Amino acid sequence: MLKYIAKRFGQIFILFYVFLALLFLLLDLQPGDISQQFVGNPNIPPEAKEIMVRQLGLDQPKIVQLGNHLWNYSFGMDMGVSWASYPREVSEILFTALPRTVFLFLTATILSFWLGFYTGKLVAWRRGTLIEKTTMITSIFFWTIFYPWFAILMLWFTSSVLGWFPVGKFISVETWIGAPYTAQSVFMLMLGSMALLSTLYGVARYAIDRSVDDAKTRRSYHRIALWSLVALVLVLWGINARRTYALDIIWHTIVPVLTLTLVNFAGTTLLTRSSMLETLREDYILTARAKGVPESTIRDRHAARNAMLPVTTSLVLQLAVVIAGGVITEQIFSWPGLGRALLGAITAEDIPVAMGALALIGILSLFAHLVADITYAFLDPRIRVQG
Amino acid sequence: MAQTLDIESRGGKAGTPLLEVQDLVMHYRTKEGDVSAVEDVTFTLHSGESIGLVGESGCGKTSVALTLLRLLPDNSLIKAGDVKLDGESLLELDEEQMRRRRWRDISMVFQGAMNSWNPVYRIGDQIREALRLHWPETLTYQEETDRIGALFELVGLNPVTMERYPHEFSGGMRQRAVIAMALSCNPKVIIADEPTTALDVIVQDQILRELKKIQQELGMSIIYISHDIAVIAEVTERMGVMYAGKLVELGSTVDVFHRPKHPYSYLLLKSTPSITGPRRKLAPLEGEPPNLLNPPSGCRFHPRCPFATDRCKVEEPNLVNVAEGHAVACWNWQEVPEIGGLQK
Amino acid sequence: MADILTPPTEEREVFDPKTVIEEPLWRIRIRLGWRAFRKNWALFSENKMGIVGLLIIALFGIMALAHPVLMATVWQEHQEGGKNVYDIRAGADSIIVTKTIVEEVTDTLTEISQIEAMFLGTGVNIPEIGDTIEAPLANPAPPVLSGVPHPHILGTDPFGGDVFSQLLFGARAAFLLGAIAALSSVALATLVGTIAAYFGGVIDTILMRLADLVILIPLLPLLIVVSGFWNVELTMLGILIGVLGGLGGTAIILKSQALSVKVKPFIDAARIAGGGHWRIITRHIIPNVLPLSFLYMMFAVTGAIFTEAALSFLGLLNIQQSWGIMINIAHTQGYTLEGLKVWWLMFPAGMSITLFSAGFFLVGRAMDEVVNPRLRKR
Repeated sequence: MLKYIAKRFGQIFILFYVFLALLFLLLDLQPGDISQQFVGNPNIPPEAKEIMVRQLGLDQPKIVQLGNHLWNYSFGMDMGVSWASYPREVSEILFTALPRTVFLFLTATILSFWLGFYTGKLVAWRRGTLIEKTTMITSIFFWTIFYPWFAILMLWFTSSVLGWFPVGKFISVETWIGAPYTAQSVFMLMLGSMALLSTLYGVARYAIDRSVDDAKTRRSYHRIALWSLVALVLVLWGINARRTYALDIIWHTIVPVLTLTLVNFAGTTLLTRSSMLETLREDYILTARAKGVPESTIRDRHAARNAMLPVTTSLVLQLAVVIAGGVITEQIFSWPGLGRALLGAITAEDIPVAMGALALIGILSLFAHLVADITYAFLDPRIRVQG
Repeated sequence: MAQTLDIESRGGKAGTPLLEVQDLVMHYRTKEGDVSAVEDVTFTLHSGESIGLVGESGCGKTSVALTLLRLLPDNSLIKAGDVKLDGESLLELDEEQMRRRRWRDISMVFQGAMNSWNPVYRIGDQIREALRLHWPETLTYQEETDRIGALFELVGLNPVTMERYPHEFSGGMRQRAVIAMALSCNPKVIIADEPTTALDVIVQDQILRELKKIQQELGMSIIYISHDIAVIAEVTERMGVMYAGKLVELGSTVDVFHRPKHPYSYLLLKSTPSITGPRRKLAPLEGEPPNLLNPPSGCRFHPRCPFATDRCKVEEPNLVNVAEGHAVACWNWQEVPEIGGLQK
Repeated sequence: MADILTPPTEEREVFDPKTVIEEPLWRIRIRLGWRAFRKNWALFSENKMGIVGLLIIALFGIMALAHPVLMATVWQEHQEGGKNVYDIRAGADSIIVTKTIVEEVTDTLTEISQIEAMFLGTGVNIPEIGDTIEAPLANPAPPVLSGVPHPHILGTDPFGGDVFSQLLFGARAAFLLGAIAALSSVALATLVGTIAAYFGGVIDTILMRLADLVILIPLLPLLIVVSGFWNVELTMLGILIGVLGGLGGTAIILKSQALSVKVKPFIDAARIAGGGHWRIITRHIIPNVLPLSFLYMMFAVTGAIFTEAALSFLGLLNIQQSWGIMINIAHTQGYTLEGLKVWWLMFPAGMSITLFSAGFFLVGRAMDEVVNPRLRKR
């Protein structure tokens, strides 16, 4: 399997550079000279134009420009300077926004996949019942509803009608006046603690699996480990001075994440159900029944485990949908992530930020694909064992 | 590494009735109507005996097997009859009780056993699953491994391979592994449905020999199902011929082969060329098997039967004993001539 | 036995099937096609969802066709300031109606507040409550069918345009875009998939790597940038979505379908009979891939509609009018949080996009059961 991962990583690496080259092409094909954009921009002094042209290397041959571009966007980490917020660097603007989008994307994907798979699995088992029909109709509804409209409805419903949640945005400015911490620092700390919790849990599980043989005790140890870690994190945050600020951020996060998750949850449910129905026709399901395996075990350990494979494959194709959904969510909820940065940049004709945002979103997408491919290889022994 | 394997048939004293199928009737309900898949099938399997069921595709042999294990799809209906294992009626059990008897009392080797294996788990682990479900005492992991290893050796597989995944096995190896899994819980009866179809002739021969050896050594009671008479001839002591859901002839394999009494069996045997026998014209069966949605009146074989009389079109013949241990369902069984030149 | 070994001496008659079969070949083909269609229709119609989907699509079809018809007939006479009131971009209902001055406005059509009346008045006399005054129709106006010169079935948008007319036109735009995007996407995907499957080797690798790249690039963000740089209108958008969509996942799926057709014996037979590459591809492989292609065309439409509506909603496109633009106008004019009070601004448009998508999605799912027999319910 390592061979497979290495090969895939290599392919993605190359595709990454092809993608960057395409971005360069896009930039180049754009009508008009980039430097002309400077002339009209009131924020930039006229002398800067000359310097810009030299700095941007616009007087050099195209190949050299391409090379510089590729280098800058990958290893150099230099995506230029923002035009609308001159002289802030693009990387500074975008790397502030990046963790937020990653958080939104990760949470929505993981939650929607997990819940969707679980629901789809259960629903496929109860073919022809009322539960199946209701779930199917609800899922189709949430999957086909026009997402921007749905997000607007969610925003309106949660803030105006229920009044339980804020009207979008990342933080409530009033709460943060005079705060000794920046929103970014608190947010990063929250992300860090979540990452730490997941890693520690993973390590604990591994250790437990190695030392304990019996499946039942293993599972109870898993649960003990999880809840004690969660309790620890909650206590540490509870006594922390930052807790009110963290809570404010969480309060703003709930509805956007919920909206994005809901739609993709529906999609995964539909997908899983179809996959399960196909898997249930396989011969090994009949064999499992003949062996006297109880129904729930057949559903979970035999059918679902195999149904997972096509679902994971389809998920790869669905990633683009999640990313698009994320961009729209950020726009409607004014959630300051990469998507909103991209849209803001396009509206303000701030090309460096727009290209940078597009590049970063592309990298996020590539990375997600790589993870999905590896997950699939892990799940399917036909790839895992012989590569 | 040779291990003493305590596999024994738990079927009781050799020769006693073990599995009794009485007047079994099973229909499939479809949109177009009821399909009469199994009609009045009656036979008895004795302990230590191997019995074969032969017939064309769609004649109901696999349906009978699935009925015995109660693995029928949702649209099936057992309309009449009974199946008794060791005197206990299997059809009257509830699902949970039946589940406990599956594999432990009756196990099955399915048609196309290549696909009987779940591709995401190791072969050894899938056999372990069967052991954990039915073995009376709790075995340690090592004990399980030892047992599976011994089973593998019995069917001619290297025990090391139990850690491999199904896609790493060849078709023949997978088939042997299925047999090993079928034996794993010391069942009373094994049903083997087309155990060698889709395998090449050499592997087919090997596996049949293994099965015969296992059956003889362990005194296992086996039901063989096949459309290939040659296979049935090689491994069974008794055999039944099925046509269109009905059992039309039942007797010892030697008797049925030498002196078939039902026109269908006769034509079936006549249509099989023999290398050692004298040259004779092959007599193919005209026509096609009937549509079981609307079976022919009277005897189901009458449209294709060269010996059919008016009575056959109206009255359905029952399976009656016409000689020692030899039963046939035909009004005109006396007319069926001898098959010339068949040596065994 | 001996006569088999001697070669025939006389000329044997060449058997020409055309002399035996009396019907012309094309008529046989049509009959077979019709029979296949009827069989597939029977399978398709078993699934109620598919029928619902078809009905929805038919409804929108009627809407799309209704617009030019209505414009030419019933709506022709409604002019205001030289422009047709129901015109989708230019129309604006600025009719003057009589309104009563009240304390609290409950019906914007017939009532007006004192302050607003003051703004309208000549300035000398302060309007009294209870007086009537000539005032323009306040936009966005709620649905009104009578009592005004120009009935608005679904009210007006913030600029005075008739919502119903915009909705009908949106159906036209949706079908147009859907057709362009879906056809180009699937045509490309079928071609790419079949060629990759048939020729294999280097061509296959290159095409699959290309498909990989296309899947990896997120479509919406890319289109956002593209529409920011260039002026993108409907046809161009359709082609863009088609190309960028068709080269990706669909191509891979259709390739595996083409592969499963390629290994069938009748392809070998065709090749032995002397078929050249292109003949085999067009006559044998593609027709067997087409059912699956057609299936994916349905999903391509849903994707295309979503993308266009989203981009329009974000205000990035240069299209005359579409449902997405309707929602965009409502959103940018600040009516998002008003919710139910101005329901006609977002609800019809949002619902139309949803239903249009759902219609094609349902048809696609029902077709899935026809094309893929394993999903059938016995």
